[in-house]
Amino acid sequence: MAQVAHDIDQVSPRPATRLAQDKRKDAVKKDSQDPNPLIRALAVRTMGCIRVDKITEYLCDPLQRCLKDDDPYVRKTAAICVAKLYDINAELVEDRGFLESLKDLISDNNPMVVANAVAALAEIQENSTRPIFEITSHTLSKLLTALNECTEWGQVFILDALSRYKAPDAREAENIVERVTPRLQHANCAVVLSAVKMILQQMELITSTDVVRNLCKKMAPPLVTLLSAEPEIQYVALRNINLIVQRRPTILAHEIKVFFCKYNDPIYVKMEKLEIMIKLASDRNIDQVLLEFKEYATEVDVDFVRKAVRAIGRCAIKLERAAERCISVLLELIKIKVNYVVQEAIIVIKDIFRRYPNTYESIIATLCESLDTLDEPEAKASMIWIIGEYAERIDNADELLESFLESFPEEPAQVQLQLLTATVKLFLKKPTEGPQQMIQVVLNNATVETDNPDLRDRAYIYWRLLSTDPEAAKDVVLAEKPVISDDSNQIDPSLLDELLANIATLSSVYHKPPEAFVTRVKATAQRTEDDDYPEGSETGYSESPSHAAEGSASSPTSSNLLGDLIGLDNNAIVPVDQPASPTGPPLPVVLPASTGQGLQISAQLARQDGQIFYSLLFENNTQIALDGFLIQFNKNTFGLAAAGPLTVPQLQPGTSAATLLPMVMFQNLSQGPPSSLLQVAVKNSQQPVWYFNDKISLHVFFTEDGRMERGSFLETWRSLPDSNEVSKEFPGIVVNNAEAAIERLGASNIFFIAKRKHANQDVFYFSAKLPRGIPFLIELTTAVGTLGVKCAIKTPGAEMAPLFFEAIETLLAG
Amino acid sequence: MISQLFVLSQRGDNIVFRDYRGEVQKGSAEIFFRKVKFWKEDGQEEAPPVFNVDGVNYFHVKVVGLLFVATTRVNIAPSLVLELLQRIARVIKDYLGILNEDSLRKNFVLVYELLDEVIDFGYVQTTSTEMLKSYVFNEPIVVDAARLQSLGPAGIFMQGTKRMPGTAVTKSVVATEPGGRRREEIFVDIIEKISITFSSSGYILTSEIDGTIQMKSYLTGNPEIRLAFNDDLSIGRGGGSAYDYRSSSGSGAVILDDCNFHQSVRLDSFDMDKTLSLIPPDGEFTVMNYRLTQEFKPPFRINPLIEEAGALKAEVIIKVRAEFSSSITANTIMVMMPLPKYTTRASFELEPGALGQTTDFKEANKRLEWGLKKIVGGSEHTLRAKLTFSQESHGNITKESGPVSMTFTIPMYNASKLQVKYLQIAKKSGTYNPYRWVRYVTQANSYVARI
Repeated sequence: MAQVAHDIDQVSPRPATRLAQDKRKDAVKKDSQDPNPLIRALAVRTMGCIRVDKITEYLCDPLQRCLKDDDPYVRKTAAICVAKLYDINAELVEDRGFLESLKDLISDNNPMVVANAVAALAEIQENSTRPIFEITSHTLSKLLTALNECTEWGQVFILDALSRYKAPDAREAENIVERVTPRLQHANCAVVLSAVKMILQQMELITSTDVVRNLCKKMAPPLVTLLSAEPEIQYVALRNINLIVQRRPTILAHEIKVFFCKYNDPIYVKMEKLEIMIKLASDRNIDQVLLEFKEYATEVDVDFVRKAVRAIGRCAIKLERAAERCISVLLELIKIKVNYVVQEAIIVIKDIFRRYPNTYESIIATLCESLDTLDEPEAKASMIWIIGEYAERIDNADELLESFLESFPEEPAQVQLQLLTATVKLFLKKPTEGPQQMIQVVLNNATVETDNPDLRDRAYIYWRLLSTDPEAAKDVVLAEKPVISDDSNQIDPSLLDELLANIATLSSVYHKPPEAFVTRVKATAQRTEDDDYPEGSETGYSESPSHAAEGSASSPTSSNLLGDLIGLDNNAIVPVDQPASPTGPPLPVVLPASTGQGLQISAQLARQDGQIFYSLLFENNTQIALDGFLIQFNKNTFGLAAAGPLTVPQLQPGTSAATLLPMVMFQNLSQGPPSSLLQVAVKNSQQPVWYFNDKISLHVFFTEDGRMERGSFLETWRSLPDSNEVSKEFPGIVVNNAEAAIERLGASNIFFIAKRKHANQDVFYFSAKLPRGIPFLIELTTAVGTLGVKCAIKTPGAEMAPLFFEAIETLLAG
Repeated sequence: MISQLFVLSQRGDNIVFRDYRGEVQKGSAEIFFRKVKFWKEDGQEEAPPVFNVDGVNYFHVKVVGLLFVATTRVNIAPSLVLELLQRIARVIKDYLGILNEDSLRKNFVLVYELLDEVIDFGYVQTTSTEMLKSYVFNEPIVVDAARLQSLGPAGIFMQGTKRMPGTAVTKSVVATEPGGRRREEIFVDIIEKISITFSSSGYILTSEIDGTIQMKSYLTGNPEIRLAFNDDLSIGRGGGSAYDYRSSSGSGAVILDDCNFHQSVRLDSFDMDKTLSLIPPDGEFTVMNYRLTQEFKPPFRINPLIEEAGALKAEVIIKVRAEFSSSITANTIMVMMPLPKYTTRASFELEPGALGQTTDFKEANKRLEWGLKKIVGGSEHTLRAKLTFSQESHGNITKESGPVSMTFTIPMYNASKLQVKYLQIAKKSGTYNPYRWVRYVTQANSYVARI
């Protein structure tokens, strides 16, 4: 029975000979008609592992037959085989109608077959841009029925596929939820979490508060039960619960006790539990919670202890009424005099002072007792900040600061900056002789003696302020500070939405959107690059012949060079074997024919329907046909990489082909300051590798959801520190028609918000957003019709400013 | 879907390696092991069960010292993969009888055959030993259990995870016995893990029981089985919050906070007569998991005391009292207490005539360890230790030591009072009388007394 299996498993990695191929074909064909269903299934399972184009075509008939086999074991194996075949040759699968057969299997009477068909369709859909597997209300009801009969794993496949379904109204949503709820009682954690995901998603549509409340009540016990599973599962559950309670804090509001750490919990579980305890802490349970934190703060594991101390501080900042109790716990901990506890406590107390100014200074004396024991920069900096901030209430503030001054040159930058500011504060508050001398020493140290530009700049600013207008200095340095809130580990709302949609997946464990870590690498591409692919390894896959030929026939140096440019990660080299889709406007030439030995490439990044594409035009001015095009991008600021294969057909001499290559971001990020440089390598089977540089224009990244309401624009503008404001003049640009300019910017997702007159100039306000929710607030000042535009932007991503200016200059000029 | 699955020994040796999709590089096992071994991220020194290295996601669970690992490149459900890894360990155990490096190596042909049947192209097909039996025909080569380190009668329960493999027996569900005939028997284990935190004044701060009912059936013909529980069992605290559970304690009823069941369990008459019926598949599986926070009587009371006795000295007194019936004996008890960092020496004093007790001061992590072979119900044991310090304490010695934690196993005892009243096997033959083993065991999960 195992004839096929043996044949395949022991296949040598050398290109298969004609004879061996024929032998295998025959074996598969014969076995797929064997009277024993186990052998038929084995044949169909094995045939999916033969990755040779010529053979795969030959396998279609047996596969077609097996999809309609009488035996469910054969059918379920055949269903998966379709996914395998799609991976090798998608076109073939579509042409031969396998997708339809697969869809038919959704109505199969055997639940295992249904589950596998769903899994296969879901995978195919994932790799295709066309709608292949759409969940209609008809499939929905069929799958919900199959759910009850399926194996536990099949239930997960089905639930995950159904979670893509958007119910049209609240009634249907309730209906779905009702049928999924019993899954919460399953002993398999994967089923429970997938059911939770499904319910959470439908809950968004349900309007009745009673129903929602009821569902929350139903979900709580199973979620808590997940914490009785193995620690590995607990970890996954906790990461998910972390997200769930940010959206629906009521679900587990009364269950805080179950998140108390057990002494034998692994550290990764303890850390997650702490995080959730902070999230669930309320005025009602804070005493209990503090008691726990205090206990943890005396445990053995240093990292855990630090996190526990920090947790106390975060609760103080979160719960105003509990702040005093939190502080008294911190003071108790300081009294134990365990060095790292003291330092951590001082760091959080500084934050508490920021949050509740002029409330708890009475404890400063106690803090000062620990002054000498501080040796961590952050703790030192925090203590110095406290001394500076409350210099007028600390009698010996000058002495305390002076004790730090001796070692000023050796201190880390963080401490130096704080010392500088604190000394200035002290001087402004107590302008006596002692502080005056100190300030001389500090300013001298921080300007002449230092190489740190941040420190030097800050020192010079203070110096200028103090020497020109001490009153203004007071206004600036001693100004009231904005109130802080506990936003550590708080997830940005738009990201939270995305993560909640991905609950129960890896995304919800990493707390990152899927595109940030999923790299699509086609199996074949992977192998071409895998240099140390061991000879004689046991895989059932053999190299596709076209590739094998390419590797040896074309100059071997070229592939090495390509490897050098690209580095080893994110090897998204993709083969080219599909027809291209032509597109419109003329593109800038990036590789002139003179450089490319007759091959000319024009290219530009473009944005279409929310997706970034690399629009490419290949012109073949050589005397030979070119094929086998591959493209690769070097690491770049935005981590741009190809999201799919480059599809360029064989280029006959004198012809050209245009293509749109979908791109993804955050794949191969480069370090260092932002740069618009995009280094690209293109190769084909006939020529050496061509390298060229392209320029990334920032505006292709601006997302469609970048429009801001006036109110939130103002709020964001105010909440960002002034250091995040950058401006630039464009003396050579003129805006002749304001409406047209607004429209043009709008087309690039730079959204107009408001306009006002200022003297003889117009001031326009715009907003835009980069992926990952980085907003750009833009102010354009110009007199319409005259030369000269001033552009000021405010953004948390101020390092992007130069790129932004380049982009806006192009847009305005263009 | 899963790309690869492999099993590594504690030293990182590749015991089993199966590539299902060929999209992750071959060296992944090595990359994984190096990453886990030298994990140092986010201030943690233990790798979380799920992490990403260069676009490859690694999942792992530890089962009896072996690392079961899966890799993938896509945004898959991690709970599915982790649960699957546990199940694969269990299926292999069902087949091989014993799961360890030796048995895996001896049976690698069978193991690979199992893995091919369990996963196809990265998609889980089935993890039920029962179903796999129709497709996997290799016979296991049984590793001699006697050559393994001899574990005490309950030692097999000491494997750390809740759903312990090998609860009852170490024999394969498929291998034929040397006599040619299989013994008809069924094992039902009620395993409860207790977590309790006592405050410094001995008051119970938190308490929880995580229970699981495991079944392993060697019955031919898969007859239907009925399991009946005590009549006063009920599920759900009726909407009350965790804070007021004490109010329910007076009635004496067993109230589970939540529970879940195996696929095969039918609950048709559960509400009426507290009976589960099921047709047990072959192999070991969990019939039911349950959890309760209802007040229960803790099996042990711990009374720790630490007192300064002069400038550089202190005395520790730990009393442990067993509060269960004298007909029951707990075994493999270990009491641990972290001592102040500056402790240099500890000298111990046991009760006169103490037998089977060990004491140790672990210099490296400054921990006192007190081991007792057994404790008979109703008895009390005391340990005194004199500590010597290298520096004076900061005056708050209790804050710098403790909490005291305890591990133990108590066979034939369960704290929740959940009971299997009877185990009925439906088979219409007068002579058919298979062996039925119903065993209870209670273990400490996190049993802690603060000082």
